[in-house]
Amino acid sequence: MLNTLLRPTSGTATVAGFDVLKSPAEVRRNIGYVAQDVGVDEHATGRENLTLYGHFYRLDNKTIKQRIKEIFELVDLIGYEDKMVSSYSGGMRKRLDIAMGLIHQPKIIFLDEPTVGLDPQTRARIWDYIRKLAKSMDVTIFLTTHYMEEADQLADRVAIIDLGKIVTSGTPDELKRSIGGDVVTVSPCVVKTEECQEFLQRTKSVLSNKPFVVGMQEADTTLAVYVQNGESAAPNIMRILDSEGIEVQTLSVSRPSLNDVFLKYTGRNIRPQEGAPTTYTEVARRRSRR
Amino acid sequence: MDMLSDIYYQIIRDLRSRFRMPVWIFLSLFQPIIWLLLFTQIFQSLSQLPQLGTVSYLQFFAPGVVVMTVIFGSAWAGMGMLQDIDMGILSKMLATPVTRPSIIIGRVISAMVMLVIQALLIFIIAVIMGVEITTGVPGVLLSIVIISLLGLGLAAISNGLALLLRRQEPLIAVINFIALPSVFLSSAMMPAQLLPAWLNTLRHFNPVDYAVVGVRDLILQGYVWSDLRTCLLVLLAWAAAGITFGALMFRNRAE
Repeated sequence: MLNTLLRPTSGTATVAGFDVLKSPAEVRRNIGYVAQDVGVDEHATGRENLTLYGHFYRLDNKTIKQRIKEIFELVDLIGYEDKMVSSYSGGMRKRLDIAMGLIHQPKIIFLDEPTVGLDPQTRARIWDYIRKLAKSMDVTIFLTTHYMEEADQLADRVAIIDLGKIVTSGTPDELKRSIGGDVVTVSPCVVKTEECQEFLQRTKSVLSNKPFVVGMQEADTTLAVYVQNGESAAPNIMRILDSEGIEVQTLSVSRPSLNDVFLKYTGRNIRPQEGAPTTYTEVARRRSRR
Repeated sequence: MDMLSDIYYQIIRDLRSRFRMPVWIFLSLFQPIIWLLLFTQIFQSLSQLPQLGTVSYLQFFAPGVVVMTVIFGSAWAGMGMLQDIDMGILSKMLATPVTRPSIIIGRVISAMVMLVIQALLIFIIAVIMGVEITTGVPGVLLSIVIISLLGLGLAAISNGLALLLRRQEPLIAVINFIALPSVFLSSAMMPAQLLPAWLNTLRHFNPVDYAVVGVRDLILQGYVWSDLRTCLLVLLAWAAAGITFGALMFRNRAE
């Protein structure tokens, strides 16, 4: 909707100072859009793909030439400018795809799940390019992702969307702090059974009235206990559960991750493989050189 | 201005990718020649029909081949659009300020460019094979206008269908369903006098027939203005209708 491909059914939105309904052309001129699916023309070279887009953005030939040089350097595709895209690897295509959204030096770039379906190595490289991009251009990057660590790694500000509504937003640190300190994850069992569920429920009720516990959230076979100080809380929890006759199988202390944040606000674990059509995270990164 | 420049770059892109398929180029240029040679051999004995008069079947059938080539060339124009949709190219393009109509107009025009090249080639071969074109070069040019109008409408409809159907299989089925029958439902292969009465009536509702009659007049008889006027008017309406359909489908998809 923000990139003018869909019309809102109601309400208004302003992108780069322009109304998406009233001046879609102005919006388009100021944004770069990189869809989840790679949208590059296989039967053309990298340079031809970029040149075409340069013309669509009304750049003159000289600017296009120069921008292509800069962009190919940025996404590390030097030497492949005049090779057919059909000979590119998946990661290279994705990089060209991103490059095509950058040719006109947009104010805002929309990256829709840029690393979905890529291998970890390629994903790490794409992350590097996104960081480089944020550093070298005066641009706002609007990134959507299912991967919490991606948001954590890249974003200055994170908004978590559940069932179409923003449930919380802030910097990753703010969000993690909102959990209230550390996470102690206890598990009274390894496999999910009825007995295990019972243990989990008992653990929950035993811990619920303890002053150092800020909150709790259960998932399959584990219980995440949010506490102010993990190191001192962990032995406490052990002792309490021991005295109640609950045998703890595993216990770990961690600083909260965005996964914990997600879990807390949506009440479920994110499962990237399922695609979770109604639950995803949006991340906005703002960087300026000033 | 923006629109013209967009159309230009869309045409360049489309033609460039076509010309990168040498097999495709070779066969598209070669196929009409095969038709010309094959059909005139098969129907050779038709030349003895009194209805043809002094005209050879080759001479009679040459306009038919030109029109057939136009139909088969432009009816498939939507496949490229479909590929752009499937590959995510279209939605990516729509997020740029590119003028929307240029996307479909560019495709249709680049299909026309191919058709004109093919048609000119057929005319040249036909002349070499002994066809006399009564109206000469101006007649050939007018013929090009006629078949361009036919192809324009058809290519636009094909693009519209691609946007409507969104999948290859139904598009292929629809094109096959329409293309060949539209040739047989005209006087492309058989003199109108020899067609059964119902077909002879039906062909008047077929824009293909008007193109065939127009081009055939120009080749065999000269400027038969009464025929030509109807032909041009009908085909202009046809092209306008096709473009309207294509534009509506495109707006449906894009806006």
